[in-house]
Amino acid sequence: MSSIITLTLPGDPLFTEVARQTTTSVASLLTGENRSASDETQFIHDFELAISEAFTNSVKYAGEHDTPPTVTLTFEIEKRRLTVSLLDANSPFSIDTPAPDIESYPENGYGLWIIRKVMDCVTYRREGNSNIISMSKTL
Amino acid sequence: MIITETSANGIVIVALEGRLDALSAPKLRGSPPVADPKTAVVLDLEKVDFMDSSGLGAIVGAAREKGDPACGIVLSCMNNKVRRTFETTNAQRLFHIFDDTSAAVDFAATRQIART
Repeated sequence: MSSIITLTLPGDPLFTEVARQTTTSVASLLTGENRSASDETQFIHDFELAISEAFTNSVKYAGEHDTPPTVTLTFEIEKRRLTVSLLDANSPFSIDTPAPDIESYPENGYGLWIIRKVMDCVTYRREGNSNIISMSKTL
Repeated sequence: MIITETSANGIVIVALEGRLDALSAPKLRGSPPVADPKTAVVLDLEKVDFMDSSGLGAIVGAAREKGDPACGIVLSCMNNKVRRTFETTNAQRLFHIFDDTSAAVDFAATRQIART
């Protein structure tokens, strides 16, 4: 049995904070069942970080528009597992990015790597003209 | 994000408060002591509530432009949230990191003297 929440936001950097705070609230729903406080804190923060990266990438690659395109977040809440999917209408991309070459002091290119590192499972699919990246983690 | 600049022992301390993300990272990159390649800076991260890769990129990019990247930006008071972002990318390897700002200032001052 799972619950589904869907939230559609303007693809504008100002709404990254809304995406992040919503994700924090939803992730908090899974806590409080005698798990360690540090595990719960890490779980919530990892989702906050992953969604910030995914939303920021979506806005960054949306290009110039008179009206910002939308970004749709879908939260699938199970007893111990949360999956957050982000849908946008940007160009296709790959999530199989290499580790950042940290010794060259890169300023960009960390986002997808961080998402894959902090989530248990990350998948990408293309449906019609939409990208859907799904990020899951079990508490 | 609030940026507060002070100095001690000839070293500029830049204290950050709030979220360091895509919206606020340009403000940090544009901060004069951070942007100046000749100024050694201690970056106090204690009050950073949240930092994603945009914030990380701003710090790493600013360090790259310093004459001595490993000592041009010295980090202090890194909380667990900030540490997570550094450690998932191995970026902590690029910096000297101290638990308190005074130790970071002492280190930066010593390195500055060694370079002159």
